[in-house]
Amino acid sequence: MLDYLKSPVQTFQDFLYLAARSIRNVTKKPIYWNDILMQMDSIGVGSLPIVALIGAFSGIVMTLQLSRALATYGATSQTGQVVSISIVRELGPVLTALLIAGRNASGIASELGSMKVTEQIDAMRALGTDPIQKLVVPRLVATAFMQPLLTAIADFVGLLGGLLIAVTVIGNTANQYWSAATDILQLNDMVQGLLKPFLFAIVISLVGCFYGMRTSGGTQGVGLATTKAVVVSSVWVFVIDALVTQIFVSLT
Amino acid sequence: MSDPILQFEDVSLSYDDKLVLDRINLTVNPGDTYILLGAAGSGKTVLLKLAMTLVKPDAGRIRLLGHDITDLKETDLFEIRREVGVLFQEGGLFDSLTVGENVAYPLRNQKLLSAPEEEINGRVLESLEFVELGGTLDKFPSELSGGMRRRAGIARANVTNPKLSLYDSPTAGLDPITAYTIMSLILKQRDLRKTTTVLATHRYQDGAMAANYRWDDGTHDIVRVAPYGQYADLKTTFIVMEEGRIAFAGTQAQLEASRDPYVSQFVLHQPPPKLEQSGARGHLPA
Repeated sequence: MLDYLKSPVQTFQDFLYLAARSIRNVTKKPIYWNDILMQMDSIGVGSLPIVALIGAFSGIVMTLQLSRALATYGATSQTGQVVSISIVRELGPVLTALLIAGRNASGIASELGSMKVTEQIDAMRALGTDPIQKLVVPRLVATAFMQPLLTAIADFVGLLGGLLIAVTVIGNTANQYWSAATDILQLNDMVQGLLKPFLFAIVISLVGCFYGMRTSGGTQGVGLATTKAVVVSSVWVFVIDALVTQIFVSLT
Repeated sequence: MSDPILQFEDVSLSYDDKLVLDRINLTVNPGDTYILLGAAGSGKTVLLKLAMTLVKPDAGRIRLLGHDITDLKETDLFEIRREVGVLFQEGGLFDSLTVGENVAYPLRNQKLLSAPEEEINGRVLESLEFVELGGTLDKFPSELSGGMRRRAGIARANVTNPKLSLYDSPTAGLDPITAYTIMSLILKQRDLRKTTTVLATHRYQDGAMAANYRWDDGTHDIVRVAPYGQYADLKTTFIVMEEGRIAFAGTQAQLEASRDPYVSQFVLHQPPPKLEQSGARGHLPA
């Protein structure tokens, strides 16, 4: 039994070690600004179209689903409120995080994994660069900065999607929907809605880097590392989501 | 005699409970050439990784350029690594950088080597011309052939004028003509810049070239120093690794005279010679 647990515990310990070193290195010199900007472009700007698209459809679909339920209670005027709360607190952060996990944790793991198996990471160390500083920190900083922004955009586009259905299907006026959607939001929701993506981003980027940096076994190993990075980071997104939600629920 | 450049004292290393290096003792003297021969998995690459401080031993001590590197922190190792040039098995070039940026990488990223951009560009070009790749400055590694990538790797390894150059299987997987070019460039670096050289290979010819040929600037090629049938032994030590241990260490003459069934396979690429044959000096294998 102990032997069976040894491997996951060791892996988790290694992950914590990488996470601690990476976070500590964020303020350490040298800071590779070019790499940070390139990663921001790749993770942030690169993910924008898909994040906006999924955000819009999640708003549309949720409002469609809600339309019948709200009509049953004669509460169609509340559409904006329900859509707004669900998107800002939950759907926006989690869906964006799952997209980033699928798109970027996999990208990071496969890129670093390929570098690992072709000895580029060893070469980097041999040539006097710390791979954590050069590879992990820029990806961590870029994701942690861009993901809350992407989530805010996804939330906004999701509300617009909801607006479209609220006006065309449910029969709300645009003004009615929009003021209901914005009035209901409190500071607490905003903080929750932006803190979650920030924490998700840290975990997603670190998990991607972690599995990339410990890739072994050639191209097959790169595939395996990529799969693990997506699965593990997606699971962590839900675990952190549950924890943060519980904290905010108990605070209010 | 001057201090050794690299010294292994009873160095052992295990991976996943498997012993990959078993009490290795090795001394690398300045200016000499060391040829590491051995089957795949015999520990050649791991030994080089220990020498370049990328892996730490489980037991024993390693001294590199006068420093005991066994317990040094990664950040303290950067300063020592700038004195060591490394060519990885597959070249280890960064895919995302051009050849010029690859060669400039150690100059741009090692604090103690920092120089004005003009000087860096000059040194990069010089280093690429040294390996006859002057026209590839703006090309990406993926645009180069396997042999050219190794040459670019040699240029990057030696752009800092290291005291010690480590080459991991530089001729593996190359055709004989390209392998000859790569070896002649390694000897050019050794002879013109007086670099101590440690070379892991599974090709005995590479070692025989290092032991008997010298770079000649006049003919712009390597030339044999001793007549055929004789050994020049240009301060070259052959080391044969077997399952993590040093099975043999000595000169080319001693290696060819060895009757050890494992060791002699690396000389002749055929079953070991019969005992009654003379073990004295012989011809270089083709």
